[in-house]
Amino acid sequence: MPNYAHPEVLVATDWVKENLGQPAIKLVEVDVDTRAYDAGHIPGAVGFNWQTQLQDPLRRDILSREAFEKLAGDAGIAPTDTVVLYGDNNNWFAAYGFWLFKVYGHADVRLMNGSRVKWLNEPDKPLTTAKTSVTPVAYKVTRLNLDLRAYVTQVLEASQTAKFNLVDVRSPDEFTGKVIAPPGMSETAQRGGHVPGAASIPWSLAVNSDGTFKTAEELRATYFDQKGVDPKKDTIAYCRIGERSSHSWFVLKYLLGLQNVKNYDGSWTEYGNLVGVPIEKA
Amino acid sequence: MNHQTRVYRDVFEMLPSEDNPTPMVRIHRMNPRPEFELYAKLEWFSPFGSVKDRAAWAMLRDLEARGEVGNGRGIVEPTSGNTGISLAAMARARGHHMRAVVPNKVPLEKKVLLKIAGAELDVVSDELCPAPGLGDGSINLAKTHAKAQSEKYVMPNQYESEQNVLAHFRTTGPEIWRQTEGKITHLFLSLGTCGTVTGASRFLRGQKPGLKVIAVQPTEGHDVPGLRNVSQLGVSKLFDRSLIDDILEIDFHLAYTRALELCQTEGLLAGPSSGLIYEGARRIIERDQAGCGVMIFPDNIFKYTANMVKHIPSLAEGTQA
Repeated sequence: MPNYAHPEVLVATDWVKENLGQPAIKLVEVDVDTRAYDAGHIPGAVGFNWQTQLQDPLRRDILSREAFEKLAGDAGIAPTDTVVLYGDNNNWFAAYGFWLFKVYGHADVRLMNGSRVKWLNEPDKPLTTAKTSVTPVAYKVTRLNLDLRAYVTQVLEASQTAKFNLVDVRSPDEFTGKVIAPPGMSETAQRGGHVPGAASIPWSLAVNSDGTFKTAEELRATYFDQKGVDPKKDTIAYCRIGERSSHSWFVLKYLLGLQNVKNYDGSWTEYGNLVGVPIEKA
Repeated sequence: MNHQTRVYRDVFEMLPSEDNPTPMVRIHRMNPRPEFELYAKLEWFSPFGSVKDRAAWAMLRDLEARGEVGNGRGIVEPTSGNTGISLAAMARARGHHMRAVVPNKVPLEKKVLLKIAGAELDVVSDELCPAPGLGDGSINLAKTHAKAQSEKYVMPNQYESEQNVLAHFRTTGPEIWRQTEGKITHLFLSLGTCGTVTGASRFLRGQKPGLKVIAVQPTEGHDVPGLRNVSQLGVSKLFDRSLIDDILEIDFHLAYTRALELCQTEGLLAGPSSGLIYEGARRIIERDQAGCGVMIFPDNIFKYTANMVKHIPSLAEGTQA
């Protein structure tokens, strides 16, 4: 992996194929299109549904600690296992799953570079509809990393001071307020625009046309030189519902090695609905 | 078979060929320069209703010949409608099953038609926040079915299959050459999978190297089912820019208004992609002034009443008691 700060968190499709069936390596598919896993997945992978399994079913929140322990344990994942996540749409929700595993302190989490589409387009990579058999284990969270999560108070502080890099990873039309959400999306907001002081750095600037991440040199040029992210500052990334920002959070924290990067999972569907907060357009 | 009597043993004998071409009709009232002969080739006269019959039949016959379908193995294909309707109807009539993966923005009429034609339907949401080159959700889901259940599905893949090009090289091109008696100077068409433009142009340029090929494309963010803007053409491996002289980008609303004009002025019940192609031809006729042009009209208006009302709201006026 080309000069990333933490290259160990990224695995190639070939690596995944070579390690299929290894008992301590657990594959997890998380897709935007929640039917994709059932249509075909990597042999041995379990599928997590971001809508029903990766968030609290009642209140707007991430999965509770107890629910996370049950989800991981029921999927046969032990705290010492290597968890490799992959999914559609360039690993958006796979990255969200990665972030959630890190919030709950899982040590060894990785993303499959190039995501599901790269695997799909490589002739030697199998897919199956066979149900993955798992042996449930007891999973205990021993360490919480809640500093990976940004709350709206911190976002407002970031907006009003210059202490943070505030990174809006949505499409340019969402940033300017021309649209509130991409077409057809049900999660939306009362207002369009962006948090004052945020820089528009669409998530897609981090990836190549084959879905893999750009090199560290290219990423540094984009984020630091062209878009003005200051690597010495703390950083908060946001999008609409927190999945595209997980992708950019991954890039900033693990590929570029920034020290304190938070994902604002409330994102625009929280901020754009708040009464009385400042908004910028265009 | 006898194309004089038009009595056929089965529906497949009706498919177009050099001996049984789809009709070409001369444009009169909407031709800005009568000295430029302009014809519309009406692909909806093909038995399953669109230009896609050609590619679908070639791909299906090829898969049958190679033993890739049959014995319980059917087909899965990403389609915005017409290819799926042709493939589903043909596949079912040949005893195969068919699964169509369709973008959500495809009109309801086409989705229902796919089911009527016998396809099992998968509808996928279209654009979220796309990055270039990732491929389209419907293509990826169809590929997933074909890979994960290869015993059940093979994917003809209209975006990559050489059969799509060969179909037009063997039928559309020779038909036009014979129908115009070699007089054709301009070929007007739209871009989707690019099988039509690549196959027909390759044949006709072989007969007449100076032939001008003009492709029209709707403006980005368009709503013309079946067509692609050049920025979306990355998905088609059949696109060969060297076979096209001009690519005209045309405001997609004109697809609808020109289609309506064709219906009401020329009596040609042409669909929106035909409207866009006509607008391209009109502009080139103003530029080149003389010649003999053929527009390939992909399908008729019947599947697009909902889209027509969306873009020409006055059509809904007076339709309720």
